[in-house]
Amino acid sequence: MFRAIRPAALYRSAALYKTAPAVVARNAMALNFARTYASAGLARSDVEKRVLDILAGFNKVDANKIALKANFNADLGLDSLDTVEVVMAIEEEFSIEIPDKDADEIKSAEQAVEYISKREDAH
Amino acid sequence: MSAAMAAHLSVVTAQSPSLSAARQSVIHLYRDFQRGVPEIMRTHQVDMPMSMIRTKIREEFERHRDVKDLAVIDILLFKGRQEYQETMNAWKQETHIMRYFIKDDAPPKPQGFLEKFLAGRD
Repeated sequence: MFRAIRPAALYRSAALYKTAPAVVARNAMALNFARTYASAGLARSDVEKRVLDILAGFNKVDANKIALKANFNADLGLDSLDTVEVVMAIEEEFSIEIPDKDADEIKSAEQAVEYISKREDAH
Repeated sequence: MSAAMAAHLSVVTAQSPSLSAARQSVIHLYRDFQRGVPEIMRTHQVDMPMSMIRTKIREEFERHRDVKDLAVIDILLFKGRQEYQETMNAWKQETHIMRYFIKDDAPPKPQGFLEKFLAGRD
């Protein structure tokens, strides 16, 4: 009986996440096929897009200046505390925890993408 | 647990060798605080949107933005670490968290003579 109602319930719980539709779809799939193994890494273009989307969601950032190579501080005009917040948003997006040592080194979207592609547990 | 065991999240107090090193530790402290927000909200059952807590943390850091004296920064860092440890270990209680928000809810200070008089201030 429980098995019969399970997929629907899982979809419902997945729909509760207030995240981008793409993420919801991925979560729903992960829940439905709980026994499949992690997919082979993230596509770089996908990572780039998600990182840039995070930057675009920051209201202190001028949308026209957002670029992969843009330095958070020099080009986007973010101060050190804003940078901490951006890096933390990236952590949340990819469900990873970046240690202080590495987080200090991330100063542009490109460096963030670089770091995430090295992390195998990012998804 | 032995009495000599350091308490959870305690950090040895140190003198910062330079302004840039102090800056780095401030950034680390800020990151720890922001990262701890969900846990703070859970342990203290804070009935506020998460953004308010994040903004308040930011505000407290901004208050000391212009401090340039290394010795003063070290003291502030020590106090911040202490605050972090006490909050995360729930040595603080809900009222201590809410105390940060008193000013936001308070009515504006009376300005003119009569307003001050009526408010019982001189």
